[in-house]
Amino acid sequence: MKTDLSPRMKVALYGLMCVLLIPFVFPTWWMLTSSVKPISDIFAFPPDLWPRRFDFSTYARVFELQPFARQYWNSAYIAALVTGGTMIISSMAGYAFARIKFPFSNAIFMVVLLGLLIPSEVTIVPLFQMFLKWGMINTHWPLILVPIFGAPSVFATFVMRQFFIALPVELEEAARVDGLGRFKIFWLIALPLAKPALGAVAIFTFLHSWNLYLEPIVFLSSTQMFTLPQALTQFTDAYGGAMWNIQLAAATMTAIPVLLVFIVAQKQFVEGLAHTGLKG
Amino acid sequence: MAPVTLKSITKSYGTTPVLHGIDIDIADGEFVVLVGPSGCGKSTLLRMIAGLETVTGGDISIGARVVNDLEPKDRDIAMVFQNYALYPHMTVATNMGFSLEHRGAGKAEIAERVNWAADILGLRPLLDRYPRQLSGGQRQRVAMGRAIVRNPQVFLFDEPLSNLDAKLRVVMRGEIKGLHQRLGVTTVYVTHDQVEAMTMADKIVVMNGGRVEQVGAPLDLYDRPANLFVAGFIGSPAMNAIAGRITADGFMAGDVTLPLPPGVSRADNAVYGIRPEHLSLAAAGVPAIVKLVEPMGSETQVTLTLGEHTVIGVFRERLKSQPGETVHLQPDLTAIHLFDATTGGRLN
Ligand SMILES: Nc1ncnc2c1ncn2[C@@H]1O[C@H](COP(=O)(O)OP(=O)(O)OP(=O)(O)O)[C@@H](O)[C@H]1O
Ligand SMILES: [Mg+2]
Repeated sequence: MKTDLSPRMKVALYGLMCVLLIPFVFPTWWMLTSSVKPISDIFAFPPDLWPRRFDFSTYARVFELQPFARQYWNSAYIAALVTGGTMIISSMAGYAFARIKFPFSNAIFMVVLLGLLIPSEVTIVPLFQMFLKWGMINTHWPLILVPIFGAPSVFATFVMRQFFIALPVELEEAARVDGLGRFKIFWLIALPLAKPALGAVAIFTFLHSWNLYLEPIVFLSSTQMFTLPQALTQFTDAYGGAMWNIQLAAATMTAIPVLLVFIVAQKQFVEGLAHTGLKG
Repeated sequence: MAPVTLKSITKSYGTTPVLHGIDIDIADGEFVVLVGPSGCGKSTLLRMIAGLETVTGGDISIGARVVNDLEPKDRDIAMVFQNYALYPHMTVATNMGFSLEHRGAGKAEIAERVNWAADILGLRPLLDRYPRQLSGGQRQRVAMGRAIVRNPQVFLFDEPLSNLDAKLRVVMRGEIKGLHQRLGVTTVYVTHDQVEAMTMADKIVVMNGGRVEQVGAPLDLYDRPANLFVAGFIGSPAMNAIAGRITADGFMAGDVTLPLPPGVSRADNAVYGIRPEHLSLAAAGVPAIVKLVEPMGSETQVTLTLGEHTVIGVFRERLKSQPGETVHLQPDLTAIHLFDATTGGRLN
């Protein structure tokens, strides 16, 4: 966006934005700094913006108290599988709902969307019984299968469908004349142009899986199998009191991939938008 | 190159009929323009030839084959779309070579064909660009390049120039015509612009409301329109049409009497058609009042009131007349068109 603001207005505007940023940046700052404070300094009043004393041993302790590397890997590979699976399923389903004529397609799509209205708390008990029957309790299967075939994927399908509907039909007709079949049209024409939507789906799905809390608590029981959000609650001393500095060190490490994914996918997002420069 | 035959083609969307039995014969190498007002079914017909719409009834043949049930890719046609439909994520060269690539051509062959087409269309310097980096006219040219690369039997164009400005449209009109003369490929071209139709076509098909009104060479349609619709559609400014009676003394339209050529039979319910350029000014003739004078430079266009009718005349001379002045009009008796007012059919 190009605006012609005077330098003075610009300074004022950036000043205002900095002030507005504080409520968003402060918690992250507090997490970062408190993760290297001795526990006694965390609750100092007034709070220290810069640690008085540094204690980097908290980061090492994270790995001593729990199989944190293992848990990290659990979260990472589950989120990666869920993201990949959701991207494949939602793009194909979204394309089918947008472009392929089949009987009752709109009614079926409405039924699929209705799934979004059911909160996961309602379905978790039947799901537990189902996975128990399948012998999948205390495995990662529920955490992989439930999002790929559940609400997050439905939402992603909706996003993809809306995108494909807006894509000019002429492009696909040109591809048909050029000799492509349905799948190649999807794969070579529609999908590459859907990068912005896929980027959004990837961010959203990854975050959803990475932050999943209720499901791991229900389905997992051994620390070896835990995922990060669940592991974060386990840094307690012998009396059940939270070890805040260690917990915040773990939280810092948990937050990093989220930021990375966002930065990478956001670039993809913008690039994709530029590519769709479909003009008149 | 191949002839295209449409035999009693009908098309319905659900229960709504859109085309009501279309018969057109397109000879090998012919440039045929489908023209008609918006919504008359031109695009639908073209897309049926392309295979992008199903055929409700009748037969479409390309060459010796009936192609009704063939996929577009098996019909050996190429189509240029109104919005060009260039693949935004591919370079110009990839766009042009795309169809060859998917028909199993080798890299060398693709490069050779793409370069050949690029040379014809002056696209060489643009081959590595993306569609978004091109101007409207350049995109248009790439779309044509994509069509000619494959050397298809038939070219189909759906209003390819409607997104260009007036000047560029004239240039591209010439280029498409030139391309046709050079390659000689059978071409079906859809437009609602009758000037495009007149200037480009070997044969014009005038459509209206899902029917063919008349088929013929541009000048034949201009000189002898088969009915009122064609008379009004072809030619700009449009032919003057005056309702009245054909009598032995001339054509009676209210208080005005217009001269008729000899040998026309009487009719009570008729329309007198005369093109603006077939009216001339004379010392004596039909009196008319000048309403508006529009000098165009090469000619002067004058709107006149003739009794209760408004007519337009186009004159070679530079007129000095003022609005309100009375002039005398002399219709060219060899260029009078008479139509039946109820059926619209031609009478003379
Ligand atoms: N998919 C469709 N479903 C229902 N009716 C349709 C469909 N496509 C076109 N029509 C109808 O068919 C008729 C012919 O449409 P078509 O697009 O062929 O017109 P056209 O002559 O190309 O007009 P234009 O000059 O505006 O492009 C129109 O009345 C239109 O409303
Ligand atoms: Mg059309």
